[in-house]
Amino acid sequence: MKRAALLVLALLVAAGAAVAVTGRSLPDPKVSPAIATRTPDPRHGAYVAVLGDCAACHSVPGSPDLAGGLALPTPAGPVWSSNITPDKVHGIGVYSFTDFARLMRQGVRPNGERVLPAMPYTAYAKVSDEDLHDLYAYLMQAVPAAPTANHADGVLWFARWPIGLWNKAFHDDSRFAADPAKGASWNRGAYLVQGLAHCGTCHTPRGPAFQEKALDGRSDLFLSGARLDGASPINLRGNTADGLGRWSADDIAELLASGRSAHSAVVGQMGEVVAHSTQFMTDADRGAIAAYLKSLSPAPESGRATFAATAASLDAVMSGKQTDPGALRFMNSCSACHRLNGDGAGRALPSLAGNPTVLAQHPDTLIAVILKGARMPSTAAAPSPMAMPPFGWRYDDREVAEVASYVRQSWGNGAPSVSAGQVRAVRRALGLATPGR
Amino acid sequence: MSKDTDRRAFLKGSVLLPALGAAACSPPATHQDDLAASAPAAATPAAADYKPAFFTPAEWAFVQAACARLIPNDANGPGALELGVPQFIDRQMGTPYGAAAAWYMQGPFFEGKPEFGYQSQLTPKQQYRLGIRAIDAWCAKTHGKVLADLDAKTQDDVLKQVEAGKVKSDDLPLDVFFTAFLLKNVMEGYFGDPMYGGNRDMAAWKMIGHPGARADFLEWVDKPAAYPYGPVDLHGRQA
Repeated sequence: MKRAALLVLALLVAAGAAVAVTGRSLPDPKVSPAIATRTPDPRHGAYVAVLGDCAACHSVPGSPDLAGGLALPTPAGPVWSSNITPDKVHGIGVYSFTDFARLMRQGVRPNGERVLPAMPYTAYAKVSDEDLHDLYAYLMQAVPAAPTANHADGVLWFARWPIGLWNKAFHDDSRFAADPAKGASWNRGAYLVQGLAHCGTCHTPRGPAFQEKALDGRSDLFLSGARLDGASPINLRGNTADGLGRWSADDIAELLASGRSAHSAVVGQMGEVVAHSTQFMTDADRGAIAAYLKSLSPAPESGRATFAATAASLDAVMSGKQTDPGALRFMNSCSACHRLNGDGAGRALPSLAGNPTVLAQHPDTLIAVILKGARMPSTAAAPSPMAMPPFGWRYDDREVAEVASYVRQSWGNGAPSVSAGQVRAVRRALGLATPGR
Repeated sequence: MSKDTDRRAFLKGSVLLPALGAAACSPPATHQDDLAASAPAAATPAAADYKPAFFTPAEWAFVQAACARLIPNDANGPGALELGVPQFIDRQMGTPYGAAAAWYMQGPFFEGKPEFGYQSQLTPKQQYRLGIRAIDAWCAKTHGKVLADLDAKTQDDVLKQVEAGKVKSDDLPLDVFFTAFLLKNVMEGYFGDPMYGGNRDMAAWKMIGHPGARADFLEWVDKPAAYPYGPVDLHGRQA
C-alpha cells in the first residue's frame, strides 16, 4: 500500500508539472496509409463488435443498442459508458476514422479529452487497422443513430489529466505482431485474446497503479488470475490446479460456446461475456482462443493450489463419523447438487473437484457464489440457465469460511483455507447483509 | 497484503488516480433475478415466555391441555407441549390459513361426504373458537370442570368421545374440528420445521430418525446401516 501511495504521489507531482504538455495534444493513432483507399466491410465489423463485446458496456436494457448509459462505480464517482451510435450530437457521428482509431488505441477523444481506462483501449490497441476499419464502418453505417444524451461525468476533471502520464508509463500502443514460428490458429487466438476479447482486463493481475502486469504472452503473469471487487477471475494458464492445465482445447471451446464444461461453469461477469460475445464467435475463433490458451506455460506455482484426486473426503463422510463443521454444512446445503464426492453432475451441476474457480489463489469468486448464488448463461448450445441459490442468508461469515475451506481442501483440492475476514470483505463488497440471528 | 494490491482500499486512499482502468472490471449492473427470494422467512423458534396472540386465556389452557394429551411426553420422546406446539397453532391462526384466505368460502354449505372435502363456512379460527367453547361447555356439564382442569385419564376419554362424534354441538360438528383441525395442527406443529415455532430443537425428527431438510440422500440409499447424521432444519441448523 505504501508503495502504491508513493507512486500515485509521484505521478501527481509529475502530472502537475507536465499537464500543459500532455493535456491537450492529439496523439497519432498510426493508421496505415493503405486504409485511405480500402473499402471497409460493415458486416465483418458487426462480428468485430461481437468479438470486442462492445455491447457489454455500451448497451443497457431499456435504451437503444450501443447508446451507452452503464455506470461503472468507482470511489471517484461513477464512470458512464458513452453513446457510440452514429448520432452527430451525442454519439460518434462526427468522428473520422482517425478519430475513432485514436480513441480505440490511445483513449483520446477528438477534443483531446482522455477516456478513463475503464474503456479497455490498452487491449484494443492490439487490434489491426482492418478490423478497426470494419468496426468503424459497422458503427457508422449499420447501427441506428440514437439521440441518447451521455451522462454527466461523475469523475472530476482532475482525475482525468494524469491518465496521459499513466499511458506513458503503462500503455503499450502497439499492434499485435504475429509470431511466424507459430501456426495461423495460434496467432489468431493470440490476436483475439490479447486484443478484441480483452481477456487480460479481468484475468491478468494488476500492479500498484492498477496497470495490468502483462499485456501479452511474454510474461507468465499474463492471464494468471486476478482479484477485483468481490470476484477473482481465474488463472487461464497451464497450471494443473487453479489453471487450465487439465482442460483440453475442446473443453475450453465448449465453455466459450455454452458457458459450461466437464470441469466447471462460468460465473459472474464471465456469464455475460459468454452470453453476449463468445457464444457468437465462429468455431474456428473459439478453437483458436483455446489453442492459444493451451499454449500458455504455467504461472509460477509458488503459493498456488494443488490437485490430486482422492476418495478420502467421501469416505470420511460415509463413515458416519465426520464432525468437521465445514464438511457437515457442505453435506447439509451443497451435496444435493454437487454430490458428496464433489463431482456434481455433468454440465448441469458443476464439479468442484479440480475446479479452477474453487482453487483460485484468491477465493473471492468462490465466496461470492456461496453468498449470493450463481446462474449460468442461457446459450444456444446450452439453453438452460442452471442456477444455484444463495446461502448468505443462511450462514454467517465464519460458517461460509468453513464451507469454502472444506471445498478448497476436499476430493484432492489443495488450496489455502478461507478466513471469516475474507468472507466479510466479499460480503461487504457485494452489499449483502449478514444473517440476522 | 498481496502484490496485486486491493483495488478498493487503494482507490479510497487516492482519489486522484489516473488508474481508473480497473473500473473496466467493476461489475456492471448485472441482471438481478429472484435468487434472493429463495431465503425463507426469518426463523421464529419456540420461546419459553410465549404470549398467545389469538387464543384467550381459557382457550390457551384448552389448547395446552389437548396438546399434552394428543402427543404426551413419554418414553417414546418429548410431548407436543415441550416442543412448542401450542404456540405453533396460535401463530398458525395468524396466517392466511387461519382465515381460510385461500379456500373457496362461498355457499352453498351442505353437509357432504368426506371425499368432497371441507364443506363448512367456518374458518380455522372460527373452528377453534366455537370448538373449544363447545367442548369446554360439554365438559363443564358432564364433569363439572373445563377440559384443562380434568385429570389426564378423563381428558383422554373426552377427546376420544369427541373424535368418535359422540360429543354434539349445535354450532359445528366437533369430530370434524378434532380431526381436521386440532389433531392435524398438533401433528403439523410437532413435525414441522422449527422455524414455525414447533418441533423445538428438531426433537420430533430426532425421535423418529428423520434427517430433516437435506435435499437428497442418493449416496446412502444402498447403505444397510441407519443414516448416521442428525437432522438439519430449513435455516441450516444441525442437531
